[in-house]
Amino acid sequence: MTGVSPSVGALTAEFGSAILRTVVSCGDSIVYVTRERAHDILAWLKNTPGQEFDYLTDITAVDYRDPERPLEVVYQLRSLGRKADLRVKIALDGSAPLEVDSVYDLWKGADWLEREVYDMFGVSFVGHPDLRRILMWETYGEGYPLRKDFPLRGHFSRAEQVRQALAANPEAQYSLEELSLAQAMHDLPADMTERLRRGERGLVP
Amino acid sequence: MVVTPPAGGVELSAVSPNWVTTRLDFLSNWARSNSLWPMPFGTACCAIEFMATAASRFDLARFGMERLSYSPRQADVLICAGRLPFKLAPVIRRIWDQMPQPKWSISMGACASSGGIFDNYAMVQGIDTIIPVDVYVPGCPPRPEGLVYGIMLLQKKIKGESFTDSDLRQEHLVDDAGMFLPPERVDELSEPFGNSIHQTRSG
Amino acid sequence: MLQAYIPLLLVVAFVVVNAVIMLGLSHWLSSSRPTGVKLQPYESGMPVLGDARERFSVKFYLVAMLFIIFDIEVVFLFPWAVAFNQLPAQSGLLLVAMLIFLGVLTAGFIYAWKRGALEWS
Repeated sequence: MTGVSPSVGALTAEFGSAILRTVVSCGDSIVYVTRERAHDILAWLKNTPGQEFDYLTDITAVDYRDPERPLEVVYQLRSLGRKADLRVKIALDGSAPLEVDSVYDLWKGADWLEREVYDMFGVSFVGHPDLRRILMWETYGEGYPLRKDFPLRGHFSRAEQVRQALAANPEAQYSLEELSLAQAMHDLPADMTERLRRGERGLVP
Repeated sequence: MVVTPPAGGVELSAVSPNWVTTRLDFLSNWARSNSLWPMPFGTACCAIEFMATAASRFDLARFGMERLSYSPRQADVLICAGRLPFKLAPVIRRIWDQMPQPKWSISMGACASSGGIFDNYAMVQGIDTIIPVDVYVPGCPPRPEGLVYGIMLLQKKIKGESFTDSDLRQEHLVDDAGMFLPPERVDELSEPFGNSIHQTRSG
Repeated sequence: MLQAYIPLLLVVAFVVVNAVIMLGLSHWLSSSRPTGVKLQPYESGMPVLGDARERFSVKFYLVAMLFIIFDIEVVFLFPWAVAFNQLPAQSGLLLVAMLIFLGVLTAGFIYAWKRGALEWS
């Protein structure tokens, strides 16, 4: 096909059947890969001289309205030296749990990008150092908002959403890192320590 | 009129209104309305318009409001300029609680007044479900003239106050469930309206 | 002679009365509605973790102390200079006395310098 990135040819030569298909859309090359080899493929794309996709522009996910189409995790890569882009997609069908290997070891920027995908779509990233919600609060209980089966206004009533937002225990508003620092300095109030010990962080009373 | 020396604050509202109280009211209301130190709780685009209102062309200094206070302790009026996510709701509630009396609040813009265009899972549908609001300024964002009109309305409201009014400087705290308004009222205030009623995506 | 101080006393009295009126009126006419949350320290709307009184480095104390000592040394130089000017007959004795004073403090300064008290980091 015309306008396809030369990285695609190199990928197919290297990985063969792990490259499922290639699409060119609006001048961008998109490569669909299998979930099992995805981490190896991305590592190869980053480290091979001639590919050198050293900048991870974005990680996101797409949930299509059509229930036949699986949820896709999208990696947008860029080679700063070669000024080239590439998009790598992993299609996750509903048969296996929504899990993908984390690329935090390849690009540190994947830390918060993967947290966002986890928060909004529920895709778990195996090997991520600190996988927790980032846009919604950590103990948000309504599900994964950007999925197509999530209603626009959320599952709970407005009054319940306000109640949950206002009444979460105070320690839910701090990250675990801050809480453990405070605990090391003996700064944590006794009732917070007690609730944390019982595992009630963020429980709405 | 008898004013007993205070032990810690005084309940002047037990006094019945007369000429002296109206003169004192005039004095204190004039002082308060012409030196409203705002706390700009600016979250989004309306904050830019607030900055424009405070700047030289539209000038908040002529109202005595040029001294912005980012600590609630020294602020008179909380101006919520911008949309409020549910994640930020306990923060604005706590900041409102930490403002000492007398305090007022202005809900600037459509998002602070009703949720605006964001009728979704993440946004509070009007900060009046969280804190009491004195003046609503519509607009997306309101023009600086609109905000100035809202501030002048607040000044007019303050000038109509009287310290003999016993339910004036009351703290409206959250109840035991942590709610400021009863749940039915929150649902009523958050009802979709206008184009929102056509947006029933998924589910 | 003491009549010269009457305006000063009037100013002092006026200031005191003025302050009492301002504070007293604002205390009487204000409303005070303390609540639990209101009395907590302000931490950008977040619930409070720990005490506001944290440990801080001793170097602040050292700097303050050294400043006081050498500032007082300089302060003592001013009346000495006036006296030196008004007593030209004992200029030698006065100079020696002040040099001894400055010498003692300089010895202390060199000691502090050598001990690293002037290092900030």
